[in-house]
Amino acid sequence: MPLRFVRPEPATDEGGLWAIMDRTETELRRSPFLIRDKSLRDYVQDIACRLGGDHCPDVRVYLVRTPLFNASMAPNGTMQVWTGLMLRMENEAQFAAVLGHEIGHYLERHTLERLRDVKSASAFGQFIGLFGLVGAIGQLAVLAGLFSFSRDQERVADRIGITLMRKAGYDPAEASKVWGNLLAEIKARPDGDNEATVPMFATHPGVAERMDTLAQLAAEVPGGDTRTETWRAKIKPFRRDWLIEEIRRGQHEESIALLTRMIASAPGDAELLVARGEVYRQRAKEKDLELAMTDYQTAVALGGEPPETHRGLAMVYRKRGEPDQARASFQRYLEMAPGAPDAPMIRSYIEEPGK
Amino acid sequence: MRKLTIILCTLALAGCVAMAKVETGDRSIGDRMAVKIEGPWNHLEAPGLGPAQNWTMEGLPVDQLLLYSGIKDGELVHAGGGGGTRKEFAFRANMHPDEIVAMFEGMLTRDGSTFMLTKLEPAPFGGRKGFRFDYTLTRKVDNVVLSGVGWGAVSKNELFAIIYMAPRLAFFARHAPQVEKIAMSATIKE
Repeated sequence: MPLRFVRPEPATDEGGLWAIMDRTETELRRSPFLIRDKSLRDYVQDIACRLGGDHCPDVRVYLVRTPLFNASMAPNGTMQVWTGLMLRMENEAQFAAVLGHEIGHYLERHTLERLRDVKSASAFGQFIGLFGLVGAIGQLAVLAGLFSFSRDQERVADRIGITLMRKAGYDPAEASKVWGNLLAEIKARPDGDNEATVPMFATHPGVAERMDTLAQLAAEVPGGDTRTETWRAKIKPFRRDWLIEEIRRGQHEESIALLTRMIASAPGDAELLVARGEVYRQRAKEKDLELAMTDYQTAVALGGEPPETHRGLAMVYRKRGEPDQARASFQRYLEMAPGAPDAPMIRSYIEEPGK
Repeated sequence: MRKLTIILCTLALAGCVAMAKVETGDRSIGDRMAVKIEGPWNHLEAPGLGPAQNWTMEGLPVDQLLLYSGIKDGELVHAGGGGGTRKEFAFRANMHPDEIVAMFEGMLTRDGSTFMLTKLEPAPFGGRKGFRFDYTLTRKVDNVVLSGVGWGAVSKNELFAIIYMAPRLAFFARHAPQVEKIAMSATIKE
């Protein structure tokens, strides 16, 4: 592992790059999309620190509320993790695999390499003439962002990620599962296997190849923890919000694939069943209302279901022309969530004659 | 919103964007809806903007008034495109008000913005039994928090709606009363 990085001279290309990333970090700190919960941030920061070793003081993790699979790390130590990625992780080891991979890019200074590649391929002098040195670096950084890391850089980051996972005590076999799970979601989409639709995949070529490579690397020295229960307990207070954001994306096929996988590993989880029921109800294709009804009813039977379970049930009953059951379910929803923003609308449904 | 801005800039460079003044008085929106306005607005006209009329008082992207008239079953409520990479949101004639609001929510958050419904209640619109909703939108592209309000009704399997949004500080409070009057003046023809 290289020694900790020293802040580069501002007049250098690396210094310019850091300056841009510093500005981005300042904006990020003020962003309304930032998750500010201390316990979750400390937990994630601790995972990053255990992976980063001596570089821990330089790694600053920011959790960003965006329902897509993405994480990135800037050369100045700013790491962004999106909530869509956290929702999709089955355990701490899988999460560590992604963070370890990003730390790998950071340790190898791949972004700077990328910037220099672009620089050498461009008429850099023209950029300096147009924008000045710092401005030119800014323009090139934007340009560099348009290109992916090379396959070699990805392989290096994968190898480092596995090494860091192993050193921190995680089971490296979980790394390839991250990509396998995501690939299954992408294949469920109506547009098939378009990997570029996922932000991280847009810069990470050859997912199938990488899955195989990661599995091979993990097999070299097997063993380690997954810390599944710890992960589940830590994200539990936030997961319902993340599920709601996932449903709002309106990517029904992807969401059903994701939720079906999550339900398979936690079949007694009412929150997950209701989330899938909501997706089926919103998609409303043939048999979807029946599938939604089954999920809602299973959640009710399990107990601990969220209030929207009963609203969903009522909506399905209404569509099926069963007004008495619809009313009873709407009433149950209002009992559980009297202050819900749609409560006035729901009351009007209850009062509608014959519906 | 980012996509809208890019489209508008591109169209403006191509000379395809027109900003027309909407004069005070009775105005037809499509074939079946009419509204009365008490002060002038700006109507943005450009190809590919989608089925709603786009009006603004302060200029886009500061504030935006969307007027939907006669959206048919299966019709998208936003401009198409996205190369299949972005979810499209279409009206279905059997949607309940909650589902129509969820559809608009999906449309407004296609760029990663976040939407929070603050109220949904029954309310007459266009002389029909309809609904009104209030919401907050945090825009991804610039982190600006917008307040929003909308009205809607379904008549003869067609959707009619008015949605307004503006930054919650100053702009929304400044123009919301006028928007409310426009919504209350709406009539839907048979």
